[in-house]
Amino acid sequence: MSRYRLPALKRVLAAVAYLFPAMAGAVEGDRVTFPAQGDETGRLVIHAATDLEAMRPLLRDFQALNPGVAIEYSDYVTNDLFREAQQACAAGSSKADILLSSSVDQLVRLANDGCAQMHDSSGTQGVADWANWRNEVFGFTFEPVVFVYDRRSVPPEDVPRSHDALSDLLRSKTDVYRGRIATYDIEASGIGYLLAFYDSRQAPTANGRLLETLSRAETVVRCCNNEVLGELAAGRISIAYNVLGSYAYAAALANPDLRIVLPEDYALILSRGAMIPARAAGAEFGKHFLDYLLSARGRQVARESSFFFSEDAPLPHGVEGPESLTGSGIGRPIRIGPALLAAQDEIQRHQFITDWKNVLLRR
Amino acid sequence: MRRVGFVLVLGAGALITAAWIYARTAADEAYDRLLLGAAFQMSDGLIVAEDSLRFVLPPSAFELLGLAQHDRVFYRVIDPSGATLTGYADLAAEIDLEVSRAAPVFGNDTFLGVPVRTVTVSHAMSMPNGPGWAYVVVAQTIEARRALASELTARASVLVAVMSVLALIGTAFAVRYSLRPVDDLGAALRRRDPQDLAPLQVAVPRELSPFVTSINHFINRLDERIKLLQRYIADSAHQIRTPLTALSAQVSMIDEQKVAPEDRRHLQRVQSRTAELAGLTNQLLNHAMVIHRFDSIQLAPVWLNEVARMAFRNAVPITVDPDMVVSFEPSEEELVAMGDALSLREAIVNVIDNALRHGAVARLEVRVRRREDFGLIEVIDDGPGIRQEDWPNVVSRFYTGSSDTRGASGLGFAIASEVASVLHGRLGFRERTETKPFCVYLELPLIQDSDR
Repeated sequence: MSRYRLPALKRVLAAVAYLFPAMAGAVEGDRVTFPAQGDETGRLVIHAATDLEAMRPLLRDFQALNPGVAIEYSDYVTNDLFREAQQACAAGSSKADILLSSSVDQLVRLANDGCAQMHDSSGTQGVADWANWRNEVFGFTFEPVVFVYDRRSVPPEDVPRSHDALSDLLRSKTDVYRGRIATYDIEASGIGYLLAFYDSRQAPTANGRLLETLSRAETVVRCCNNEVLGELAAGRISIAYNVLGSYAYAAALANPDLRIVLPEDYALILSRGAMIPARAAGAEFGKHFLDYLLSARGRQVARESSFFFSEDAPLPHGVEGPESLTGSGIGRPIRIGPALLAAQDEIQRHQFITDWKNVLLRR
Repeated sequence: MRRVGFVLVLGAGALITAAWIYARTAADEAYDRLLLGAAFQMSDGLIVAEDSLRFVLPPSAFELLGLAQHDRVFYRVIDPSGATLTGYADLAAEIDLEVSRAAPVFGNDTFLGVPVRTVTVSHAMSMPNGPGWAYVVVAQTIEARRALASELTARASVLVAVMSVLALIGTAFAVRYSLRPVDDLGAALRRRDPQDLAPLQVAVPRELSPFVTSINHFINRLDERIKLLQRYIADSAHQIRTPLTALSAQVSMIDEQKVAPEDRRHLQRVQSRTAELAGLTNQLLNHAMVIHRFDSIQLAPVWLNEVARMAFRNAVPITVDPDMVVSFEPSEEELVAMGDALSLREAIVNVIDNALRHGAVARLEVRVRRREDFGLIEVIDDGPGIRQEDWPNVVSRFYTGSSDTRGASGLGFAIASEVASVLHGRLGFRERTETKPFCVYLELPLIQDSDR
């Protein structure tokens, strides 16, 4: 568990970076180099909008298999990663050999603009249909979107088991939970926007009602998963709405008072995307790493130490839910495909965020 | 066959090209509908609210386009002022938007370096400052179209290939089948007796009848020519006979005793040569007579015993060598064949004459008997016979055996053979063996009891 304590500081630093856009806007991400374990024969450059701590076990295992490869890992905020990749693509170059991002809609947009190269190998064949677009953008994780609550402040009878139940709870006990529920700031977080956008599509009416109740309960809005979970762990809030399962599970492992609810009506499932830029200098390293991420071994390492959830494995210990998320119809995978372009549309995004802010923050 | 193959390959190429064009059109039509549907859905997302233009991009439009799984999607929404509201600002920049006011306009373009199919739809808007037109341009890459087109083409090509192979096989069969009458005709011509100059009576398809007519026409002319020739020979023989008779008479009147002994040998030679010449002339005349008769007379039933007996009497001279044993043995039952008694008798006489002259040493036997449906008139002698390899030759005219004098008469067997073949029979030979003497026989089909 200590593995997650140490990075906590880093996460706070990252959060600070979010709060001060001028710093984050420096585009150049947080770079960490993993020297080759043997004689260096090649260098893999990863630009990612994915927590390094989650990726570290995968990078280490990849290096164990390929001792000659040094890894340069740069961690970005999703929007910065997107902007940098767009600029590089327009200039006909690429600094990265592979892009990893939880904002798959941005990767889809990049691929749609011709900034990706195809990769068709035995490894990519096994990827689920919904997590592969044009053999260019691949989803390499399986992360349900969950509620997290603090059992110290939420009595068992209050635990919301579904989106409607959450609405009802906040309506009936508005005063108890006022200011004690938090979610993403969808303006600051690309992934928050994507989840909110898909929530609105899953159940438009119920979602409108939920937003309204969230607003009435004076929901706390934070830039990102870790901040929301940090507030929860600190006891300043009781319920976190729309948190990625992997972060939630890591937080629950670190703090036994945090509990995870897999909503019974539906749970969006996000797959983090990976993409090889069209002009990647070390495309063969990027592809090699992508094959590793999609391989059985890579998936096993991811399930055990990084992302905990997996499409073809039972839910991790301590999380209640159906045996097969996608099979039961509860899990609603966000299909990686052109439909994500609708989420990426500027006007759409602007209007959606404006509407969302108007309702939730009553501005 | 090679030409047929060439035509088939050309045809298959044309068909596959046509299939490819058709497949491309079909694929375009199918995916154009998706494109148009998506464009309509997008244009429905344009609404005027609170005096300003709002646009909601429906994800379902993209899901519709996502049915072409691997295709990239570009779009551009243009507001009534002509400015790009959202999407790819440089998409279809040079397109004339106003054309789409009447109906949606499809087009082919290149965007970001890849070929795309575009559609432009218009949407009339009631803006606060008056009505205006907004436009939605949707473009999609053409991978799915190409994949569908090539799949359709591939399937059509397989069909065309199968059909071509079938056509080739069918043509081979058809050619073989339709040429079979030609083969039959050829076989009929090959089988034909060289002396048979009657018109062909082979059943052939209508297409071949001009060919058969030509052959028959040729046969006819040949026949006429030969008849002319025969008449000429007959006339010549006839003309020769009178002086020849006179010559014989003159020669026989020469008193041998008065001739010098050394000239006597020459005289004897003249006598024998004259007799030979007379015999030959007679045969020529007989031959002409036989041929002429068959041209003009109707065949009638002939009693073989009777004809053979008459021939036997005619052919065996009273002056026959007394040491020679001659015998005639008729069949027990009456054998009747269709024929001409005179010609048949002449034929038998020639065979017996030949046997007496060249074959028989001490014995000659003439026998009539039945073998199945044929009547056989056998002339058997105890001579050395004719070697088997000479059999086909001796029946031809004027053939003279190279090793023996047999057949020197020239026309005897030819006449017999001709008569036999006209009567649908044949002249046959039986080899001399240890136990059986040599035999020449005439084989004639008998009239069945029912025919009589």
